[in-house]
Amino acid sequence: MATKAAEISNLVPALTAERPVTWPKRTRTRLANGLEVVLAEAHSIPKFHGELFFRAGNALVVDRAPSLGEMTATVVRTGTAKRASRQIEEDLRRLGADLGTSAGQDTSAVSFAGLSEFAEPLLQLVVELAREASFPEGEFERERRQKLEEVKLERTSPGFLAGERLRKVLFGTHPYAQISPSEAQVAAYKREDLQSVYRQIYTPENGLLMMVGDFDPQAMLKIIEKVFATWTGKKPAAKETSAPPQLRARRVFLVHNPGSVQTQILAGCHAITRKHPDWIRLGLTNSLYGGAFNSRLVMNIREDKGYTYSPRSSVNPLQQHGYFSVSAAVRNEVVAASLTEIFYEIDKLRSLPVPEAELADAQNYLTGVFSMGLATQEGLLSQFSTVELNELPVDYLETYRERVRALTPDDLMATARKYFDSANMQIVVVGDRKQIQEQAALFGDIEVFDTQGQRLDK
Amino acid sequence: MTRLQVPIQSSTLKNGLRVVIAPDTTAPVVTVGIYYKIGFRLEPQGRSGFAHLFEHMMFQGSENAPKMQHIKLINSSGGVLNGSTMYDVTNYYEAVPSNALERVLWLEADRMRALKVDDENLRNQRDVVKEEVRVNVMNQPYGGFPWLDMPPVAFRNWANAHNFYGDFVDLDAATLVDVQKFFRTYYVPNNAVLLLLGDIKPEEGAALAEKYFADIPKGATPPFADPAEPPQKEERRGHVEEKFGTLPAMAIGYLMPQRKTPEWYAMALLDQALHGGRAGRIYRELVLEKQVAVEADGGIDDIFGYNGPTQMTTRILHKPEYSSDKTLADFDVVIREVQERGISEDELQQLKVKWRSDYYSTLEGGRGGYMPRYGLMHLLACFTLFDNEPQLVNTILDGFLAVTCAQVQEVAKKYLRPENRAIVFRMPAKSEVKEAA
Repeated sequence: MATKAAEISNLVPALTAERPVTWPKRTRTRLANGLEVVLAEAHSIPKFHGELFFRAGNALVVDRAPSLGEMTATVVRTGTAKRASRQIEEDLRRLGADLGTSAGQDTSAVSFAGLSEFAEPLLQLVVELAREASFPEGEFERERRQKLEEVKLERTSPGFLAGERLRKVLFGTHPYAQISPSEAQVAAYKREDLQSVYRQIYTPENGLLMMVGDFDPQAMLKIIEKVFATWTGKKPAAKETSAPPQLRARRVFLVHNPGSVQTQILAGCHAITRKHPDWIRLGLTNSLYGGAFNSRLVMNIREDKGYTYSPRSSVNPLQQHGYFSVSAAVRNEVVAASLTEIFYEIDKLRSLPVPEAELADAQNYLTGVFSMGLATQEGLLSQFSTVELNELPVDYLETYRERVRALTPDDLMATARKYFDSANMQIVVVGDRKQIQEQAALFGDIEVFDTQGQRLDK
Repeated sequence: MTRLQVPIQSSTLKNGLRVVIAPDTTAPVVTVGIYYKIGFRLEPQGRSGFAHLFEHMMFQGSENAPKMQHIKLINSSGGVLNGSTMYDVTNYYEAVPSNALERVLWLEADRMRALKVDDENLRNQRDVVKEEVRVNVMNQPYGGFPWLDMPPVAFRNWANAHNFYGDFVDLDAATLVDVQKFFRTYYVPNNAVLLLLGDIKPEEGAALAEKYFADIPKGATPPFADPAEPPQKEERRGHVEEKFGTLPAMAIGYLMPQRKTPEWYAMALLDQALHGGRAGRIYRELVLEKQVAVEADGGIDDIFGYNGPTQMTTRILHKPEYSSDKTLADFDVVIREVQERGISEDELQQLKVKWRSDYYSTLEGGRGGYMPRYGLMHLLACFTLFDNEPQLVNTILDGFLAVTCAQVQEVAKKYLRPENRAIVFRMPAKSEVKEAA
């Protein structure tokens, strides 16, 4: 049985007194040009990690083309008014630095890490990329052709195909429905489009610079002021977006991937953003359901039944909306059996209160792993960024553990009833239709697609 | 130049278990690792994939902690856990709030003392492992490329050349008798190292190691098959069909010099010159300049973590309009260039700064967001099991920083020869691409 509690040996040593969890102090400033700056010390290694965020990404410009923010980010690193591509890459190596440019739905970012002794020259390069990217014609053309090959290739990955289909189903005409462009859309990317996205999004007023590492915050702030002060630019106007569709009843979307020797299941429903007051209780409910190794879902379909290696549930917060999803790559023969267990565990959480002991275990897990990020510069940066980008309360990290611990079995049942929308879950299966269509169709009206996203006859 | 020094204390229990402690009170978190000196390279013949399957069995129950207890006790203490099987070692590790340290040590000692598993557990994990192989290899574009494709082409000794994830027929043939035999042979305290990192005092760690592990009996010294390869005299090539992917791919692997020799240090910097991201010569030439390839990466995988024959491997996905021959010829231009002209002093200096910076990140770095100090743990374990010298963590950097331009050019000439390499071509099943000769 899935959740059978094995006897705990009385030989198991008890937990000793908990040591306090202390988050490093953050120094917060806003420069005259509007750039927000958050700094924190962490002296684990003589390096620092940083990220220059801009509060807009693919979603803001999706009406021009999907993933245009990402393409802009890709080309940003290939040239500035002062440095050609090769120079940029060699300078990074000379500084012992790593740098990446990227964009998601809601943010664009230049992330970087380097040796503390070379902080200033690295920040100079960062500001150059953010301010004076030159979008060289040849570099743009090469990256566009690269992207063409990449979008063909990603359609051969079951994980991508499942994620793409679920997002389309959940978000309809909302920008979040688009996670990748078609070949034709990539072919139509224009250098001028990228430059216009760049001018719109990459401005100090729209920016947040976060750095964590082996430095003195006051001294680092002086360097930042020197390097970033003369940069100017306004925040882009926000854009109205359409509401995601109301989804009624379970439906099944089969992506036919001929020759698959396994089926990727991904089921989901709408949930909430991180700013929502229910976020923490949803996190705990998810953790107990399928977010941890010791969760009900993993114990059931992996450790008890051996259907899958990697079952997982997650809560996916975007800026405007969030969703809940469950995924598992399973043997073709047990697609229906796996879905049955996935829904059984959901429905059980909606029907019966969680036993106190199991709740305490889940609370300990979530509060414990929350502190793991304290040990590395990257971990701290990630936690601090989450707070800043989602405009969470300033004491969010400090109070998180006690808020998790205050939750009760009734809270979890209410949360499952509200957000684990069993009756209206949308089910995506990626696999060979000959082997799985009949099983999948047991769970709702079915639509079948090919890997290019075209509808096939049922 | 700031040099990072990691405080380390090491000792050996009477039963031969080595104990390495690296205290650091930055966060109230402790990382515990146990490394056994056995990986998939030396698993039993006729039992390909067994070392990895066995690793799964280590989570299925021990003398006083039945199935699910291990995972449950760690998670419910606020911690995370995992294990992984590599060429020459298998590790089990946990990161927990430091108040759960004793509990972790009790669990690890319990499963070092006695594994208690049944046929049902074995059937269950065999199913799980098969789904792992499907999700990572058989149902993925370029699954297992090149780490599973290369060994049978490059090597002649079964130890280095077999399927490390396991042929399904071999997985099916594995029995509980095999499990207990493997356990008794290799999972003895004198073939392992215990690592305690983070929020722990050295004297406290030493006392706890003694308390929980000292009464586990020492075992016979495990027998290790010789993984040495017969000398390679010709270039080796192999072909594998790509079932899903759209791009033709190839991997080129060169045999590496012996660990910790001057040539090995030089090879590491040559690797950085060739594969160091977008500044690396291979990416720059094939992706950025000639634009033949879509991806070109690779290098020496886990340079400190192996103890037998291994390669520096380049992995290339190229555009369908270019033939394999043309792509390989362009790759060879990069190799010839570094052989004939070497690298400049300026380039070498860049490589050394980057190497040092990357090394610090390795020491600090986690595995995923939630496994702090995985890198430091891994290096301390390998330096203990392979070299009996955990302090190498603080000194090995010197060997890389001492490399000269002349040495880099010499290893390029000596090791990057066709008769020291193997090439695997992985061609899409449905492509109109010209085949390699």
